[in-house]
Amino acid sequence: MLELSRVTKAYAGIPAIDAVDLTIRDDEYLTLLGPSGSGKSTLLRLIAGLDMADSGRISLDGDDITFRPTHLRNLGFVQQSYGLFPHMNVFDNVAFGLRYREIDPVTDDSEVTRRVRSILDLVGLGDLGGRMVGQLSGGQKQRVSLARTLVTEPKVCLLDEPLGALDANLRERMTVELRKIRETLGVTFMHVTGNEAEALAMGDRMIVLDRGRLLQVSDPDSVFRAPRNVGVARFVNAYNILEGEVSDGSFRYRDLRFPAHGAPSGRASYAIRHDAAEIHTDTAPPESHASLPATFVASEFLGSRFFYFLRLPDGTIFDVERHLSREDPRRIEAGTACTVSWDPASALVFDAQGARLGDDTLKGAA
Amino acid sequence: MADSTADMAAGTAHAARDGRGFLARHGNYLLLVPGVIWMILFLVVPLGMMVYVSFWTQTTFSISSDLTLQSWITFFSSDTYFGALLRTLKIWLYVLVLTFVIGYPTALFIGQVVRNKTVQTVLLVTCVIPFWTSFLIRVLAWRPMLGVEGAINILLQKFGLIAEPIEVLLFTELSVVIGMVQIYVVFMVGPIAFMLARIDESLIEAARDLGASTWTIFRKIIFPLSLPGVVVGAIFVSVMVLGEFATASALSGRKVNLLGNIIVTQVGSLKWAFAAVIGVILTVIMAVVITGLLRIVNLRRAL
Repeated sequence: MLELSRVTKAYAGIPAIDAVDLTIRDDEYLTLLGPSGSGKSTLLRLIAGLDMADSGRISLDGDDITFRPTHLRNLGFVQQSYGLFPHMNVFDNVAFGLRYREIDPVTDDSEVTRRVRSILDLVGLGDLGGRMVGQLSGGQKQRVSLARTLVTEPKVCLLDEPLGALDANLRERMTVELRKIRETLGVTFMHVTGNEAEALAMGDRMIVLDRGRLLQVSDPDSVFRAPRNVGVARFVNAYNILEGEVSDGSFRYRDLRFPAHGAPSGRASYAIRHDAAEIHTDTAPPESHASLPATFVASEFLGSRFFYFLRLPDGTIFDVERHLSREDPRRIEAGTACTVSWDPASALVFDAQGARLGDDTLKGAA
Repeated sequence: MADSTADMAAGTAHAARDGRGFLARHGNYLLLVPGVIWMILFLVVPLGMMVYVSFWTQTTFSISSDLTLQSWITFFSSDTYFGALLRTLKIWLYVLVLTFVIGYPTALFIGQVVRNKTVQTVLLVTCVIPFWTSFLIRVLAWRPMLGVEGAINILLQKFGLIAEPIEVLLFTELSVVIGMVQIYVVFMVGPIAFMLARIDESLIEAARDLGASTWTIFRKIIFPLSLPGVVVGAIFVSVMVLGEFATASALSGRKVNLLGNIIVTQVGSLKWAFAAVIGVILTVIMAVVITGLLRIVNLRRAL
């Protein structure tokens, strides 16, 4: 178990990681989602020991490792750029950690061979041991890099945007394989990504990081359906977020009012999930729905679902997602005036600080 | 319309390519012609000439094109000349080892410790600053430094470290080695620093993360990756030192004769055949040295 408590790191006075508390459990797949510049990589580097925290404490299974040098930590770090040794073949790359680590190197050649072979088989590169690094494709390099780290049996394996450089097809295959490999070895993965779909799909638990602070740490389902913070709602890229003000138990957006029972007065954000909204062109929206006038812009076909883009009077783009299993695609002319509506109970309201006003607050007041 | 124009253009180009045949297909090689002519005229022909002249008959006052082995026999049977060959090789080895021993740490500092590209460039330029003065001045400047009443002896005496001035400092093989190392070390530093600076920081972090200590990382990652730079630097230094004569004549007081010095004297006294023999020998040594150094790494793959 890896524990971070109030870990802080600043570069040139600008905090990159700000008092982060986090517990990484044994045998779990943890994803870390954050926009670029949010401190994702810094957090990984602090855990790996490639950078040292300014303050706070990092402990591994109870041992304080805050200032322990990287090579004595036994944590694996799979770099985004792979960091493969260009003067060695695949086998020697993978064997590097076993042969040359400071603590407990494996001196028995047959043991090295056995372990390298078995990990190469696991990542599906069994027959490429003799290849030079320059002769590998991007996906293969990724696997070598992963194998090289995993063969040393690290307590936690940190992956910095492991799928970032792969094309879409390969990315999807690796998604499945990474999970499978992790389950086979029972090692904890901490997977950093800027892609919300990846973070949601792969994590047993997921962390959302913004400007050096943890916004939410929970299972992907909760992150997606009940973001605790307006930032999280923004990063999961599944909400239309309207900025406005709450007064007298309703959210005011321009000259419209949507019910927001119990919300305290003041500046607020109002989030409507893409797939909770409906588009009406001729018919009126249901009585119980909140609604907004909008202009149709375009649609995008994504196989099983359709995205419709509408422009609100203030120029904001409003996304509506409809699944084809539930309704047929709509053909709407660009420029058509329509109405978007949603069940106000499905909308989320965030206060001026960005914190979501909980179900209990809203219900209690109703 | 646009499509058909493009089609026609492509068609014309195609026809033209077929029409011109040989020239069009091999036209790119024309680019090599000036270089090849230059190299034939000024490298291949003179080299052949040098080998040829080395077999000419040399008498005290004249030279004739009757072929003979006499100059070769003289070279290998004379202690003076064969000794100069051995001395040249010895000084070359000293200089090579010393430029490496002094140059590598310097390059390591510039290429690895300093990670800022601008500072790296500034430091490399600093290494080249001595080249702003002429070669002769740089060499001759060692005389007031190394002499019996030179700066080094005066300082050592002032601090009471020695009672008598050290005489071996100047006009010995040592002074020649010192002078050459100072002049040529930068040719070792440059290529090595270049290779070291190219090593991706992520490799070193990866090795560290895999549990390797700094020394292991140096042995297994940094040094092997800098080896092409070492080889290039060694080739530079070797080629220049093996053909050296100026440093030796300026700092040895004519006591240390290298092959280069002998060539100068022989040419000066118009002994062309004998000078050619030494020229051929030097060329062969350099070729062997370069071939040997290139065996160490596959430069084509590494650069």
